[in-house]
Amino acid sequence: MAVLKKTVVAVALPAVLFAGWYVLSAGSQNFYSPPLRTILVAFGDTWSVERLTADVAPSLLRLFAGYLLAAVIGVAAGVAIGLSRRLRAAVEPVLEFFRAIPPPVLVPVIMLFAGIGDGMKVIVIVFGCVWPILLNTVEGVRAVDAVVLETARSYGVTGTARITRVVLPSASPQIAAGLRQALSIAIILMVISEMFAASNGLGFTIVQFQRSFAIPEMWSGILLLGLLGFVLSLLFRLAERRALRWYEGLRAAQRQS
Amino acid sequence: MLEVKGLRKVYRSGSREVEALRDLTFTVDNGELVCLVGPSGCGKTTLLRCVAGLLDPTSGDVRVDGKAVDGPPPGMAVVFQEYGRSLFPWMSVRDNVELPLKQKKVPKQRRGELIEQALDAVGLTGTESAYPWQLSGGMQQRVAIARAVAYEPRTLLMDEPFAAVDAQTRADLEDLVRRLWKRLKVTILFVTHDIDESVYLGQRVVMLSSSPTVVQDELVIDLPAERDQLTTRADPRFIELRTRVYEQIQTAKKNAGK
Repeated sequence: MAVLKKTVVAVALPAVLFAGWYVLSAGSQNFYSPPLRTILVAFGDTWSVERLTADVAPSLLRLFAGYLLAAVIGVAAGVAIGLSRRLRAAVEPVLEFFRAIPPPVLVPVIMLFAGIGDGMKVIVIVFGCVWPILLNTVEGVRAVDAVVLETARSYGVTGTARITRVVLPSASPQIAAGLRQALSIAIILMVISEMFAASNGLGFTIVQFQRSFAIPEMWSGILLLGLLGFVLSLLFRLAERRALRWYEGLRAAQRQS
Repeated sequence: MLEVKGLRKVYRSGSREVEALRDLTFTVDNGELVCLVGPSGCGKTTLLRCVAGLLDPTSGDVRVDGKAVDGPPPGMAVVFQEYGRSLFPWMSVRDNVELPLKQKKVPKQRRGELIEQALDAVGLTGTESAYPWQLSGGMQQRVAIARAVAYEPRTLLMDEPFAAVDAQTRADLEDLVRRLWKRLKVTILFVTHDIDESVYLGQRVVMLSSSPTVVQDELVIDLPAERDQLTTRADPRFIELRTRVYEQIQTAKKNAGK
């Protein structure tokens, strides 16, 4: 019963919005905002299996490559910076500077170095995603409880085990927060980098539709992007909940006492 | 044997200096259970962290079996006051106890035995897969004690381990420490601010002055080895001893006021 209720609550607003759009746009004569019915028909026609493999798969591959690379770099550098006060003092101003640069600005610059291939797109995604991951990891590592660290030290938990069994798990809630922020940035940058220069991909395709005045198709691409982002964040939330079950439990236990 | 000689610790922050420990000298023989008791804020925890090798003293030295301590010595386990922060909340009870053993390169089968024995010794059989935060405060501190016991230390340091648990649990845990000490024949240095607890547990009580700390007095607790919450605490000798300790602590506080 509770599950059913939850599902109804979660689905209600999207359903209302969808129905509202459908009804209000039904008689639309505007060339740029066609009826939702037309868009849905275009959606079915446009996003065939061939198109999904030709345009959506490359986009997703770039997205995951960039995101994973950013995660590895961000967490590794974040742990190093978080653990060393001296390193932190040296690099923090530089980090703040780089973080303040909006990554899309760098697309033309990165194109000069990395060309217009997949490498460029992955670099753009990495450059945008790495900051929230890095900075959250630094904060998480800095916030590791002193008693936890002393316990580890006095029981000979040093070296790699100290990082993997103590520091990283302790910082994992913050790292997850950084990863969550980075995921939405990754999707945005995937699309933007493909809009600048590409021969395939979701962003590229949407721009192509727009330029050739295939308006219902363009809208269907935007719908697909929205769905994609939604599914990815849902998957992320599921993975996060599994990995951080201990954290939820701990917080619930602390609230009770 | 644990030797503390001329230990001094001064905290510096900017131009301000705070002398936490002035001059501490005492020894704990192998297999002895010594309680350190002192007024609150007398630097007990600072002392314990110096002994554990977690903090460098300003001068003086700590020796374990003749070897100077300059980092956590092998064969020493610590039970911290803050069990909630000392146990790792992302690990099950079993993993918490096992991690130090893995680091010590204890073979897997032996690890299993040690974990089982240690949890059994503290009365926590069957909680292996629980997370620490699913347990009550007293049970969590038992897990911390099990972790220390499984580590098979020669020296066990306990830093006000029962300060945060309720009185009944506390009595149980005190008896648990006495039992484990007798069975495992470890050397225990037990830090507390509770005078009764120090007399009930210790073979000897070392009383500390207020900060800057020196050893105020030492007292041998000549109570029978079999101790019991009811009879021992009602023993006239117990009351005499606790009065002695109490007076010394009061003197220490008064001297600090001057």
